[in-house]
Amino acid sequence: MSGRWLAGKVAAAVLTLLFVILFNFFLFRVMGDPTTQLARLPRATPEEIEKLQAQYGLDKPLVGQFADYVGDTARGDLGTSQRSRRPVWDEIVDAMPWTLLLVGTGTVIATLLGSWMGVIAATRRGQKSDHGLLGFSLFTYASPEYWIGIILILVFAVWIPILPSGLQVTPGVEFSSFFAEAVDVAEHLILPATAMTLMLLGQYFLIMRSSMVDVLTEDFITVKRATGQRWDRVVRKHAVPNALLPLVTLSAIQFGAVVGGAITIETVFSWPGLGELSFQAINDKDFPVLQGTFLIFSFAVILANLAADILYFYLDPRVKAS
Amino acid sequence: MDLTGMKKLVGATFALLALMLAFAVPAMAEATGESGASGDSGEDILRIGWAQDPQTLNPFIGLDEESYTVWAINWDLLVNFSEKDLSPSPGIAESWEVSDDRKTVTFKIAERNWSDGVPVTSKDVKWSLETLGGEGELFTSYTNNVTSITTPDDETVVVKTSRPDARIVGGLFIYILPEHIWGKVPLEELTSTYQPDLPLVGSGPYIVTEFERDRIIRMEQNPEFIGGSPSFDQVQFVKYGTQDAVERALDLGEIDSVIEVQASTFESLGNKENIETVKSPSPSFTQLAFNLCPEKLCPDANRNPAIQDLDVRKAIVYSIDRGRINEIANRGTSFVANGFLPSFYESFYEEPEEIYAFDPEKANQILDDAGWTREGDGVRTKDGEELSFNLYVRSESSGNIQAAKLISEMTKEVGIDYSVEVVSVDKLTDLTIRSKDGKPAPDFDSFIWGWGGDPYDPSFLLSLMTTDEIGGSSDSFFSDEEYDKLFVEQAGVFDIEQRKELVSRMNNILQEQVAYVVLSEDPNLQAYRTDRIANVAPACPEKTGDIICEQAGYAPLLTIEPASGSSSSDSGGGSGAIIAIIAVVLIAGAAIIIIRGRRRRDSEPVEMEEEE
Repeated sequence: MSGRWLAGKVAAAVLTLLFVILFNFFLFRVMGDPTTQLARLPRATPEEIEKLQAQYGLDKPLVGQFADYVGDTARGDLGTSQRSRRPVWDEIVDAMPWTLLLVGTGTVIATLLGSWMGVIAATRRGQKSDHGLLGFSLFTYASPEYWIGIILILVFAVWIPILPSGLQVTPGVEFSSFFAEAVDVAEHLILPATAMTLMLLGQYFLIMRSSMVDVLTEDFITVKRATGQRWDRVVRKHAVPNALLPLVTLSAIQFGAVVGGAITIETVFSWPGLGELSFQAINDKDFPVLQGTFLIFSFAVILANLAADILYFYLDPRVKAS
Repeated sequence: MDLTGMKKLVGATFALLALMLAFAVPAMAEATGESGASGDSGEDILRIGWAQDPQTLNPFIGLDEESYTVWAINWDLLVNFSEKDLSPSPGIAESWEVSDDRKTVTFKIAERNWSDGVPVTSKDVKWSLETLGGEGELFTSYTNNVTSITTPDDETVVVKTSRPDARIVGGLFIYILPEHIWGKVPLEELTSTYQPDLPLVGSGPYIVTEFERDRIIRMEQNPEFIGGSPSFDQVQFVKYGTQDAVERALDLGEIDSVIEVQASTFESLGNKENIETVKSPSPSFTQLAFNLCPEKLCPDANRNPAIQDLDVRKAIVYSIDRGRINEIANRGTSFVANGFLPSFYESFYEEPEEIYAFDPEKANQILDDAGWTREGDGVRTKDGEELSFNLYVRSESSGNIQAAKLISEMTKEVGIDYSVEVVSVDKLTDLTIRSKDGKPAPDFDSFIWGWGGDPYDPSFLLSLMTTDEIGGSSDSFFSDEEYDKLFVEQAGVFDIEQRKELVSRMNNILQEQVAYVVLSEDPNLQAYRTDRIANVAPACPEKTGDIICEQAGYAPLLTIEPASGSSSSDSGGGSGAIIAIIAVVLIAGAAIIIIRGRRRRDSEPVEMEEEE
């Protein structure tokens, strides 16, 4: 039974991925033909434009282009960037670690901090600290992440110039050791990771808080309390584990937002990750790169959702039972 | 995970972060001490920021404007552009001689080496002109009149052309590459995916030694360079995510110069401490173009035929206040244009006889005389025809959109109705290059867009108005027999004064016919930190040019120098202390969390609210 359930989930994920691959191709074709740009290229003769089109495979009919695309993608070949003429995969591999570092740091801190704040607020519902945390979270949750980013830059790089305003490492410096470089990167990471954290924090907080409030008003909590157990033990042993479930789903669903946030935050902070790569590719109409990064993003979101399903399966006995 | 467990975890995370930072402080101090504005060995570095960087350094396939900025520093042309007035000056060739029939030019190559120590020879020139000139996407057509290139010896190159072509001296914008490196790569690869090895062997004062796309381009001094000794040890191009970020970095001293400042921030940037802005003319312009394609060439063109009426176009140009457009749409950063050829072309420019100074009354007069009547403030009509036109403008250019709206307001005053249509670049391109049955069929009345020309030779810009370019680069589909004849003639004249006269006549024809209304000559907007760069003297052209001769050469890089005491400036300075403070706060925070967690364990339960 559970095997079949799992297989169903995996199949759904694979199907979604296939759909994304199909959709991906047509989505970017809507943006127009990149060679019309080249027609505007001074001194480009019609023959040269034809040559370029042939090079990009754009001379084939759409169906042919699509067949090429599907075949290549299946073989793991994401094509060649139209601007840099490098394999898209190389560009993604260059950018990926930076995104993982930023998104990873932001997500870990946001999850821990957000859920901790949620527990605090829920156990002190209606008190000043609850109102304060709620207000703060709603504010950061409602603010666009690029705006948060710009404010952070304004405060910590311009008004109080203690942190770099962007980039991932001080440009052009040859570091004496890996450690020195890591420190430099860490310094550059503080602001974008803070923006990422603030962007994600609110949701984790709100979900954890409301989930905790629900759980705390359940009868079994009253019963546990009536048995004379210490309050903080009741919260720790019985309330928090039950309240954590929605957080798991949220983490997965949030992943889409994380990816979107990465694009804007990376752009604001000149952080050379997948987000900035996508942003540049949009500006350049570099379809293969866009297809590649969107495929990676979609793949990550689908995988995160699948992971959440599986995790849920193990965490919540009710899922198993159904 | 339970509550205190979670608290512990959070506490521990903070403690770990704090610990990391605490360790980091000494290293931090060390790193900032030795990095800063100067490198490990106290090198002077010129840092230039930009939001767009070249995607490849291979000139066969590079399409970015920014590529030229790097190429122009790395490689010489056969004949360089002089920093004084962009006229021909020695490059790879130290001298040249034009034959009497003007169809043969003999170049003498200076004795010098590539940056890897291999001598520069005539073979390099021949290979580059033939291969890069023949196959490089941006470089073809410069050599389309060349019939042969011969190399009698290592120091001599003889270029023969089918007809006199003045571009052979001063207009061959083809970089001379080292054949012993590029010649070994199969052409197929050169024109598809080839990425050159670094260091990028070159002849200029600096050569690229590091290229991390989307991050940094590092150029170091060429040990074999003979034309002078630059003061900066390195030139670095640093890529930022947005133009705002670049300008902020300049303000914060993270970089020393910005070579493409936005029009919207140019003024405010100039008001900042230690920042100097430079506005210099460029060979680019923004024009209001009309669909002028003659009936026989474009039978299926879609337009209001009234746009082909010269009186109407004259009324349009008289009704447009170009100064106001510059003030509002370009925030006063452009140069008001008077005629087709930008005044940037100092060697060939002469103000046209008719510049159509803003005069709406004259516009009204012309239309009245031509029989275009109007009731009240309405749109003028004649025989059922109405002076209603579309005006396409690219969505990506807010300045152009503003200009279009202003034009619409201004022409309304004289009874001409312009409806502004904001479209994508693709859409506008489609409208202009549309064809039917193999003939051009442009589908517009007017649009606003721009062109950019070569640094010295005006032929490319002038070619846009030739009949030959209809179906090619021409986007106004202008056609005039005399103009075409003059175009061919001027292209073969090496004598500057003589050529200037021909070019002026062409410029006057375009003005007389109102082929374009050139709204503004676009500027290069740059900025630099005066506490970092000294001895800046605008060049290319002298006095009015930009700070690094962007894309046209490298002469200013040989004279600018680090400002005294500048090498100590470092944006990261003092950050060690700050990080220490943050670490202390974090440690304190972690301690409080852990202690409170302990205390809470023994305290009373928190009040519970009743279930609602």
